[in-house]
Amino acid sequence: MGNDRSPKKKKGGTKDMDDLKKEVPITEHKMSVEEVCRKFQTDVVQGLTNAKAAEFLLRDGPNALTPPPTTPEWVKFCRQLFGGFSILLWTGAILCFLAYAIQAATEDEPAGDNLYLGIVLTAVVVITGCFSYFQEAKSSKIMESFKNMVPQQALVIREGEKVQINAEEVVAGDLIEVKGGDRIPADIRVTSAHGCKVDNSSLTGESEPQSRSPDCTHDNPLETRNIAFFSTNCVEGTARGIVICTGDRTVMGRIATLTSGLETGKTPIAVEIEHFIHIITGVAVFLGVTFFILAIILGYTWLEAVIFLIGIIVANVPEGLLATVTVCLTLTAKRMAKKNCLVKNLEAVETLGSTSTICSDKTGTLTQNRMTVAHMWFDNQIHEADTTEDQSGAAFDKSSVTWLSLSRVAALCNRAQFKAGQDSVAILKRDVAGDASESALLKCIELSCGSVRMMRDKNKKVAEIPFNSTNKYQLSIHETEDPNDNRYLLVMKGAPERILDRCSTIMLQGKEQPMDEEMKEAFQNAYMELGGLGERVLGFCHLLLPEDQYPKGFAFDTDDVNFQTDNLCFVGLMSMIDPPRAAVPDAVGKCRSAGIKVIMVTGDHPITAKAIAKGVGIISEGNETVEDIAARLNIPVSQVNPRDAKACVIHGSDLKDLSQDQMDDILRNHTEIVFARTSPQQKLIIVEGCQRLGAIVAVTGDGVNDSPALKKADIGVAMGISGSDVSKQAADMILLDDNFASIVTGVEEGRLIFDNLKKSIAYTLTSNIPEITPFLFFIIVNIPLPLGTITILCIDLGTDMVPAISLAYEAAESDIMKRQPRNPSRDKLVNERLISIAYGQIGMIQALGGFFAYFVILAENGFLPSQLVGIRLNWDDRSLNDLEDSYGQQWTYEQRKIVEFTCHTAFFVSIVVVQWADLIICKTRRNSVFQQGMRNKILIFGLFEETALAAFLSYCPGMDVALRMYPLKPTWWFCAFPYSFLIFVYDEARKLILRRNPGGEHTIDRWSTFAQAPHIFHLFLPPVIPSSAKHISRCPAPLKTKSALKQFSSQLPQRLKTAKAPLQLSTSTCPLSPHLL
Amino acid sequence: MASTEDKAANKENVSSWKDSIYNPRTGELLGRTASSWALILLFYLVFYCFLAGMFALTMWVMLLTLDDYVPRYRDRVPEPGLVIRPNSLDITFNKSDSKNYRTYVNHLESFLQRYNDSMQENNADCIPGEYYMQDGGEMTKKVCPFRRTSLSLCSGLSDTDFGYQEGKPCVLLKMNRIIGLKPIGDPYINCTVKKDHPVQMHYFPSEGRIDKMYFPYYGKKAHENYMQPLVAVKLLLTKEDYNKELAVECRVEGTNLRNNDERDKFLGRVTFRVKVVE
Repeated sequence: MGNDRSPKKKKGGTKDMDDLKKEVPITEHKMSVEEVCRKFQTDVVQGLTNAKAAEFLLRDGPNALTPPPTTPEWVKFCRQLFGGFSILLWTGAILCFLAYAIQAATEDEPAGDNLYLGIVLTAVVVITGCFSYFQEAKSSKIMESFKNMVPQQALVIREGEKVQINAEEVVAGDLIEVKGGDRIPADIRVTSAHGCKVDNSSLTGESEPQSRSPDCTHDNPLETRNIAFFSTNCVEGTARGIVICTGDRTVMGRIATLTSGLETGKTPIAVEIEHFIHIITGVAVFLGVTFFILAIILGYTWLEAVIFLIGIIVANVPEGLLATVTVCLTLTAKRMAKKNCLVKNLEAVETLGSTSTICSDKTGTLTQNRMTVAHMWFDNQIHEADTTEDQSGAAFDKSSVTWLSLSRVAALCNRAQFKAGQDSVAILKRDVAGDASESALLKCIELSCGSVRMMRDKNKKVAEIPFNSTNKYQLSIHETEDPNDNRYLLVMKGAPERILDRCSTIMLQGKEQPMDEEMKEAFQNAYMELGGLGERVLGFCHLLLPEDQYPKGFAFDTDDVNFQTDNLCFVGLMSMIDPPRAAVPDAVGKCRSAGIKVIMVTGDHPITAKAIAKGVGIISEGNETVEDIAARLNIPVSQVNPRDAKACVIHGSDLKDLSQDQMDDILRNHTEIVFARTSPQQKLIIVEGCQRLGAIVAVTGDGVNDSPALKKADIGVAMGISGSDVSKQAADMILLDDNFASIVTGVEEGRLIFDNLKKSIAYTLTSNIPEITPFLFFIIVNIPLPLGTITILCIDLGTDMVPAISLAYEAAESDIMKRQPRNPSRDKLVNERLISIAYGQIGMIQALGGFFAYFVILAENGFLPSQLVGIRLNWDDRSLNDLEDSYGQQWTYEQRKIVEFTCHTAFFVSIVVVQWADLIICKTRRNSVFQQGMRNKILIFGLFEETALAAFLSYCPGMDVALRMYPLKPTWWFCAFPYSFLIFVYDEARKLILRRNPGGEHTIDRWSTFAQAPHIFHLFLPPVIPSSAKHISRCPAPLKTKSALKQFSSQLPQRLKTAKAPLQLSTSTCPLSPHLL
Repeated sequence: MASTEDKAANKENVSSWKDSIYNPRTGELLGRTASSWALILLFYLVFYCFLAGMFALTMWVMLLTLDDYVPRYRDRVPEPGLVIRPNSLDITFNKSDSKNYRTYVNHLESFLQRYNDSMQENNADCIPGEYYMQDGGEMTKKVCPFRRTSLSLCSGLSDTDFGYQEGKPCVLLKMNRIIGLKPIGDPYINCTVKKDHPVQMHYFPSEGRIDKMYFPYYGKKAHENYMQPLVAVKLLLTKEDYNKELAVECRVEGTNLRNNDERDKFLGRVTFRVKVVE
């Protein structure tokens, strides 16, 4: 038996995923308690019988979340060992061993070269594999901080007895009791509650605690009062309820399963690297096979052909490059960690850089996740309170007598209080016991009027009516401050319209005035305005009870109200909001100028969401939604052309009715979008929609409800302080300071590393040509081998490494935050232009430099170039020991091999020399080195390091035996200098042409003839995309949203049918964007 | 407008892979028009021509600096190697089958053609036992004669089969030519057979001596007809040596020349195998 769901899950993965993506199927909230009891065969007083509980436990399995599947360590290790270029190198190594085996079997004294090379290749693969594995393991350790979120104990009632059991043993139908501070052990249908409030913020994103009661208040199970959810917290009060779902079937469990079941696509950089590996492998295999066949045709033996094949593979594969990439990414990850972006997955470092859309959660990410008083209305005037985190905002006029009264009401009619022992903490940071709005008031008053406790001590509370949903007010009666005044002070706060109803006068400039129609209208306007800002508004009023009716010692009865609660004096309104973080508007602006679309996705109300969106600039000033236009023109919403509105606010319930096409239209045609009241499933659909349009999506969020979207996103960014464990688990990156602004840093670093990786790869790939060409000439022209496999490895894994890594430290050439995000379908890490420059141009010059050194050495030792062609057969003949050179001298095999190895060394040194120039030209893509400067100290160190290493390999005693490298005469170092110089001059000239002709690639008609000349010189410039290419779909999202919504398509609202506005053109910069000029 | 765009995008998706090879609408081949390809090819043609020119220039400059007579560096060939003729390190033959050893005999015969007395009438008479120094003066150096007759039994004149028919084969040894080499002492060749009892050997010229008058060598251009001195060894094999593989090692002795290098097994010495089948 066990978990009866799992087999089904395995059978139809996608179908099951679609099931999960649908809304929560809970219906119990609409049933009466009796029906629920019947359904679960339980009793509302006695609870389950032990036998039934055991039976259910057996049927449903324990009440725990299935942990996300993990990949075994050895699989990860093998992936590193056999992924990437490793297969190619393994092939090389196996061929080496094979060649050696054949030699050993056929020859008496087999040369150890092949065995040696095979061992070296194996070592290279294993060492780089281990290196990558440990890098990965290091970064994935962060994941292990995921804690078990199932509560330890639960109080259940079985057979009428309260028992404390392990929460894992709770089954559906159990009667459960929870109290303030408990974690809810399962999804429960509340049967009775006393002042029970739960914090659903991690599930729904609402920042304030919700009260729970047995009544069904909403069709949506997530919004109804009578369901409490697994792993949310009970903040206060007590409740009793029947368990309706356990384990993975709970709402939270579904989200967790949905999250862990989501297949995340490859990171953009992984795609790029794979693409690049394909190119290189393709070239290697093509060249290898071609020359293998050619060698056979030319009459070489099989063995020789195989040895050629090995040489070509080794020369083609940039062995050190993947390690270089890993190191570069690690360096950036470290740099980002310093700036409070902790990267869990190394490859995610770059993803932020290519991000084109950010879907941000509101609560906690954009906002401070703390209700704060934002506005006040008194003296018929709206006053703005300071909502900034550091109290740097403007203060309002506090001198008015009305304000004193208002603050007194707010302080007295308030049950919240600071928790003890926080006197040294800043007021805004103190912990408060009490609900969110009351704490907001408490902090506001404490900030502006001093200690609330003293005020409360002076005005002793005599009686109190707490807030309830029928009255919609809260009231308390206090003694006055003045000991001679025996009157009582009645203070009341509550929903503004209810308060107004109870008032007959209003306080203006400290004087009571009758409440006339004019004032009522003023009140209405203020109320509407504050409400329109998305703020929660409370009304405040007071009354000094007449002494004659209520003398000192009057027994106030709060149950059966025996005192006046109307004809009060209205004092003012106060409105609260969870204000945006100070750094957010600036960060949003930066994202926008970087071409990144910021979408707000929140579980909160549309009005609040819109207000915050406007506050932080997600909806920029002057942009209107369809509704705004309708209101301004005073016409119905349906008559507004949706294309006129750049911004839009979409309600979750509308989203449910949208087809995929409509969704795409919205995402495509609006630049400023806010999704409100969205469920976790809808967040996922939004992310998928963006990805379907070819965007690379970053999602930020902190709650459990965000985690599916976090996982699905190309990069999920969780909050380090307020984030739930589930969200941190699902994310790729964690903002340690919860600050949205840190994302901008991430984008900048990501873009920089992409540029710099390009440079690194261009640098490393260039030396492939001087590595391959010796082999090709060796085979075709039959000259002695100019460069051996060991020396090739010395370049790839020795001298090229530090300079390539040093390019990761290059500073940006232009303002990378002013350009569009790269288009993943067109701006490749390695494209034909980079290959063309690296292989076709610079690489060729390098090869010539190497060959020149080779010919110089042979000629100066007696073998003139004219004699070399065709000499190979004799040269490599071991039994031929009197080979004659151009001067008539005769050479033994060993003597001429020493010359050959000296040539290898010289070729190697020449590559180092030409790589100096290559390194300097790779520093910049279009700026001259003289503009960019040589400020990269690591790069200068790299230049010296590679030179020192080359000298060491050449001159260290014993190298002739170990690596067969021989000391060079000093003059031989200079052979490649002219070529090194040529590379520098050539590339500076190329960049000059590029700077003079900024058109080229950037013209809209990119194939026009005029574009061609500079086109050739363009290697890795990010072309500014003709706007029409911007939305070429990258790949279909793997998980298509199931069109259960299709039935609605017949009722397509007209405005959406006409909404096929042109593709957005606005954000892309003009062809000659500033950063290119 | 939007819908046409949509359609276009759609179409693009459908035929994109075909278009990437040849796009009939724009005439693009592999994503470029013919003129674009032509420009690229032209660029590369010019570029590579320039590179070839540059390479040729540097090579020409380098070759200008070289001396025609003597290579710039001779430190990679400080010592001569020792090689044998016939040019095989595995001399196996059936002494009674003339076809079997014919290749060896022919090889020796053709090798010795240069040493025919008739070829050496122009050569100067040198003083034996002394270096024939010709520094200064003319660039073309005189040559000391080495006459084939001095090889006596192994000259191929009296015994045209070089002893192969009788199972007592001749092997010629020569020291590699090295410009300016002047061996100190009196060089001679000594061969040994790794075997329980020694095999008799006969050296020509006597004692396997290489006369110092053949040194130094002045290089191919100056010393065009230089006669490289030879030493012949006749292995006087007996019946019990037949059908066995004999490892023969010959060394240059009596000089400062190296003959025991660890790495180079042919420096001043040579090891070869002889097997005579009856």
